[in-house]
Amino acid sequence: MTILSITPDPAAVGDAEITLQVRDPAGNPVSDATILVEGTMTHAGMQPVIVATEARGNGTYVTEGFKFTMGGDWVIIVRATFANGTTAEQRIDLKGVQGEMNMKSDKAKEGN
Amino acid sequence: MAVLRTQQTKRRDLLDVPVVGRFLRWKHARTSMQAALLVVSALILYDGFWGPQLAPKNLAGVLPWVHWRGLVVLALLIAGNIFCMACPFMLPRRLAKKLLPANRSWPKVIRNKWLAIGVLLLFFWAYEAFDLWASPWLTAWVALTYFVAAFAIDGIFRGAAFCKYVCPIGQFHFVHGMVSPLEVKVRQPDICGSCPTKDCIKGRYEQGSDSVRHSGESRNPLSVDRPSLLPKRLPLRHSRASSPRAGARNPSSEGREGQVPAPATTGFSRQVSKQLPREESNQAENDLATPAGLQLVQSGCELWLFQERKVGNMDCTFCLDCIQACPYDNVGIQLRAPTSEFKKLEQWHSGVGALTQRTDLAALVIVLVFAAFVNAFGMVPPVYVLEQWLATQLGVTSEPVVLGVLFIVGLVALPFGLVAAAAWASRTLAGSTESLAATATRFSYALVPIGFGMWLAHYGFHFLIGALTAVPVMQSFLADFGVPLLGDPRWELAAIVPDSWLVPLELVLLEIGMLVSLTVGYRLARQEQDSASRAVRALLPWAILIVALFFAGAWMMTQPMEMRGTILG
Repeated sequence: MTILSITPDPAAVGDAEITLQVRDPAGNPVSDATILVEGTMTHAGMQPVIVATEARGNGTYVTEGFKFTMGGDWVIIVRATFANGTTAEQRIDLKGVQGEMNMKSDKAKEGN
Repeated sequence: MAVLRTQQTKRRDLLDVPVVGRFLRWKHARTSMQAALLVVSALILYDGFWGPQLAPKNLAGVLPWVHWRGLVVLALLIAGNIFCMACPFMLPRRLAKKLLPANRSWPKVIRNKWLAIGVLLLFFWAYEAFDLWASPWLTAWVALTYFVAAFAIDGIFRGAAFCKYVCPIGQFHFVHGMVSPLEVKVRQPDICGSCPTKDCIKGRYEQGSDSVRHSGESRNPLSVDRPSLLPKRLPLRHSRASSPRAGARNPSSEGREGQVPAPATTGFSRQVSKQLPREESNQAENDLATPAGLQLVQSGCELWLFQERKVGNMDCTFCLDCIQACPYDNVGIQLRAPTSEFKKLEQWHSGVGALTQRTDLAALVIVLVFAAFVNAFGMVPPVYVLEQWLATQLGVTSEPVVLGVLFIVGLVALPFGLVAAAAWASRTLAGSTESLAATATRFSYALVPIGFGMWLAHYGFHFLIGALTAVPVMQSFLADFGVPLLGDPRWELAAIVPDSWLVPLELVLLEIGMLVSLTVGYRLARQEQDSASRAVRALLPWAILIVALFFAGAWMMTQPMEMRGTILG
């Protein structure tokens, strides 16, 4: 399982869309898996964001309703349940999701 | 005794509360609480070392940094030093007292809070520099280090040296316990005045019995119950040398360890104070052998707090040894006004001294107050801008170095500079003849409530938004051992209050802290100044500092929160 993209890029507080690619060990795309994506922060005690994904064909999945709720270091946990009942889990570190303040300052710079 | 009990019921005493009081009077109450937290600690250590290294999914990430910190400040707010009472580090420490000599005196040069201040500064820096909050493995190492340190220090030194002089968590509890509504104190002072044995401080011994009624140490590291030695030198008014419990009390147990005590309030204490020179005190202190044929059945206070002259919660671990030891049932856990302790700063506190003369304690207060703000500042975006700027100015890319500079400025240079400036202005405005250090020391205690308000707001925030995260983490932990509990882990569980409550609640807590600080500040000013107008002038610079801290805290709370481990690079 690999993350193909995160929109917006760079990741920032607010709604986001994570696109995943799932392949079997032979490298063939897997399109009939059930994929859940959890976003959690590296600091304990924060509400995680857990969403389902929609299969877009050719082993590609896109999250539905994912949201970065806070700036900082996130961890994306992808949990897959395959048609044969087997499961897999992968963890991807995502450092430095931009907070609201960074976004405002970036917009100000763009404005200038 | 019937008369005494009637008088006791007039007081609001936790020991008189049904069930709770009965439990706290139980001789194994503290041990049972410590054992429960020891089990929790063992789980934290196991998961920290061998569990998933993602803090939100690990007991070592969740329980210490979300639950323990939040519950500590809540316990201090609504009760008292409950977490020292239930401290699990005391169980290996008790073992150390049995296995190791524990007969050395704590070095005089560090019989103060300076070492603890250094450990606190180191901890606050390490917490940010190494992202302890994000590393279950490092968190487990910190906990293990604590166990080892408590075992080693109290295995070498007598008394509760670790608690009194080293433990940074304990210092946090001691300082903020000043605003707690409960205090362990004497019920009827008259009874203490006529008490001949002072078991609350020197412990209780019984003649050659193997049956130890209390699970405490096999020897009292403080009390030197020497009926064969001290009565010869010290003609006590209440001499009972023929009794197993008789003899002189340990002189070092009055005032600070090894220090000549202040004038006492009772005839007994006064005699000890006048007649026992320091050398004799040290000699007695150095002899730890339990008198032949006597066995300790109940420890007295190991932090050198003599109940008869104990004032407030400073250095009190709520261990309840004094309650267990008192043969007259004359020590209770009593309700008080949370600010009452600040009225007695000048009064001699047994085992502590006068707080207005303790510059080390004032320094501890200052560090903890400003740490509340610096710690919270570490969670809002401007800190990253500041770090980047500082790294550029210093030409370094090492985050620990940059944070080290920030902490030296934020917890040492800036606080002590501000306090010195406020003290100077206060003296100047009021025309006070008090020294700068004395003024700074006195008014530093007025900052405790605003600092506690900030800790409450910060740690309370984490607890309120993450209290339920313990549920799925425990589910996950048990599932790893093949014990599924209530199905799949409920990772969506987290907050116990709506998000919209948080900022208003934080601001209210900080505001209460500010108002209490201003009130305490005025009282302290009034103690020193002979008129209200001079007191107001003396207070003014401190009021400005307190209000500035409030606005700094309020500004931080209204910033969007961020939690980054890596800032530079």
